[in-house]
This record gives sequence, C-alpha cells and structure tokens, in this order.
Amino acid sequence: MEQNHLYGSCGETMRRVMDSVMKRIEEYSSQYEKEHGEKLYEHLSGRIKSEESMLSKIRRLGLEENTQNALRSVTDSIGIRVVCLFIDDVYENVRQIRNLSGCRVVTEKDYIQNAKPNGYRSYHLILDFETEEPDAEGHTPGHYYVEIQLRTIAMDTWAALEHEMKYKKDIVNQELIGQELCRCANELAACDVSMQTLKRIIRGRYLPYENTVC
Amino acid sequence: MKILFAEDESDLRDVVSTYLAYQGYHVDAVSNGREATERATSDSYDAIVMDIMMPEMDGLTAMRKIRESGNTTPAIFLTAKSEISDRVEGLDAGADDYLTKPFAMEELSARLRALERRKRDYKIRIMTFGDLRLDTETCEIRAQNTIGLAHKEVRLLSFLMANADRGVTEEELLKEVWSNESVNPDTVWMYISFLRAKIQSVQAGVTIDGDRAHPFRLKEI
Repeated sequence: MEQNHLYGSCGETMRRVMDSVMKRIEEYSSQYEKEHGEKLYEHLSGRIKSEESMLSKIRRLGLEENTQNALRSVTDSIGIRVVCLFIDDVYENVRQIRNLSGCRVVTEKDYIQNAKPNGYRSYHLILDFETEEPDAEGHTPGHYYVEIQLRTIAMDTWAALEHEMKYKKDIVNQELIGQELCRCANELAACDVSMQTLKRIIRGRYLPYENTVC
Repeated sequence: MKILFAEDESDLRDVVSTYLAYQGYHVDAVSNGREATERATSDSYDAIVMDIMMPEMDGLTAMRKIRESGNTTPAIFLTAKSEISDRVEGLDAGADDYLTKPFAMEELSARLRALERRKRDYKIRIMTFGDLRLDTETCEIRAQNTIGLAHKEVRLLSFLMANADRGVTEEELLKEVWSNESVNPDTVWMYISFLRAKIQSVQAGVTIDGDRAHPFRLKEI
C-alpha cells in the first residue's frame, strides 16, 4: 500500500474529528474562564500522525498495513496536546474531558503520579469519538480514537528535549545524558509541586498546618 | 547547646554537669547506658558525652544502639581505661572522640566545640521510613517514583526520619533546620506543606502528622 493512501477516505474525517474535539476543549475552557477568571490551559495543539510514521509503527507492531489497523489497532492517529500552567489544572482538564458528550474515555494513564522510569510525566487519555461519518470499519456512525496528552509547561519542555535525544541516533554519552535528563525531570517535578503548593497557600486553600486541601 | 551526659559515678556526674551548665550548655545527666539510649531516642541532643564502664548497659552497647536507630549526634566517650583496644572499640561503636580519665574540664568543652563545628558534616546517605526513601546526597525522595527536594526539605525530612519514634516540635525544627537564621514559625508550616505535597506526589504510604499544637511526626498511612 502506498503510504499516502494509508488513511484512505478516512483522512478528511480524521481532521474533522480532531477539530471537533479541540473545539469542545476550547468551549469548556472559555466557560471555565468566564466562571473562574483564569484559563485552564496555556497551549492547545493537535496533529494527525503522518502516514509515514503510522506505517512504520504498524510494521513495528507486525500488523498488516491497512486503514483498519492504522485507525483501530493503533490509537494515536489523532493526537491532541493540552499544556497547562499548574498540575491542578491538568487534573481539572481531565475532569472536563471525561464529561464531554459524544465520546467515551477508553483508557487513562496517569504518568504524573506514576512517572515513567526515564522521568517522563504526562496524563494520557484515549477517547472513542463518535461521528456521523463512516469509520475505517465502514460503520456509520463511525468511531475514531483520539489520544489526548495533558501536561504542565515544565513537563512539556522536558518531553521536547527527551524526544530530541530519542530520535537523534549519534549522540555521544547517551546514557549519561539520559541520567541527567531523569534528574532534570525530578527537579522540574519538584518545582511543579512546590509552585502548586504555594498557589494553594496564596489562595488560602491550605490553612496553616492543615493536612488536607480545604 | 543541649548535651546528654551518661556517667555512673555521682560525684563526677555532678562536677561535669555543673561545669558544663556554667559554660552555657543545657545538660541532661543519666547514670547508665540504658537510660542514655532512652533519652537519646525520646529527645534530641547536640552532643552525647558517655562513660564506657556503666551498670545495666555499658557505654559501648548504648552507643551501638543509638547509632543503629539512625541517630548521628556527635559523641565523646570518657574512659578510665587507657587501653588502645578500648579506644578503638569505642570509636568503632560510633563515637567521634574520646577522653581518658582524668581529664581537664577545659579540654572537654574544647572538644565539644570542635564536634559542634563538624556537626553539619554528619550525614547518612540513605534514610527510610515505610516505603519512603530519602537520598541525602542526590536530594531526592523515592517511593513509586522520584522527586527532587530543596536543601531545607532534605534537612527537615532527615530530622523527622531520625526522630520517627517521637514527635518533634516546631521549636526543635526551627533550631535544627533553620539554625542561625531569622525565620518565623510560618516558614515551618510552609516547608511541612511542601514536603507533604512531595511525599504525596511520589505516592508514598507516608504522611507528616502534626500541627501548631501537636508535634510533627512521620506516620504510615
């Protein structure tokens, strides 16, 4: 199969699904902003995985190269990233996304509470989005997976650097750089947690010596 | 500066206690090794001065028990014996210095001052409580995952870990963690809040109990 035909007739629908989910995220965010006077995220971006990298992923997984596998066996063909200022904002976005109509949360992975061994932190959600247009299996209404990654700006900066290291083949001292990146991740996480705590104190949500958030 | 002094001879105990008190030290005097280990775990001291030959529990055994509990308080042995093997055994049991009886009071207080200067160097690399592990070298805590700690947070947590058997007061924390700095008690609760959030973020089954009216203490959830 030629790589620019992997998504076939679903390609256009995928873009509309992505736009639609992003529009809903913008909607709940502006509603939240009206009520609370502050934004829920700093950046919102979306991408359709290039057919080239989808093809190599399918091959890596040992699957047959067809639209169905690209869109139903692999779940990150449509990706959305929500980048927030504070950790609490990440979890508020997660709550809002769970309540979106017309889509169902298929899996959730909290890599903030359970950081990956290399230091990676993010919250991952996979949505099953229902659309009136047909899907890769020919069903109408159709179902499309949308992967949403939520993280703080610090986590996003870290992930950008880690991504660069991972995809650059000829790095000298790769192991050492990996160790130092992991240390940076732990320091950034410390800052995220400290700033979140200070924000709660400033807002008066932490009373002196109280164990819990009120 | 608060000193734990263990000596079974009551005359010597009184003379040394009086001298050290006159020098401005606060002295808690006990008469055997068992009492010394009890006081060392139920209270916190800047230095321990201990006789080797004592009834009930000798000084060497007491010293070993104190060190096994994670207590790194600087310690000086007083020994009537001048045998090399006693001094070696005393230092290996965890003492930092020794004085052979009879000794000059001035020398004892000079050695205490020398120990105080070095106190900050005493550090245990890895400390644990429940599933929470503190690495004082890399300034990180680990349970389900890892997070970095600020220098003050390391001092605060290591003091709480070393005194896990008892509660520590706000006053003790100010003295231990913020020594010689002019900070107000609100600083303590802010750092307790930072630590609580970080302990929670590594998903440890541990929390810090306590508030303004009650001593702080690590607790397994």
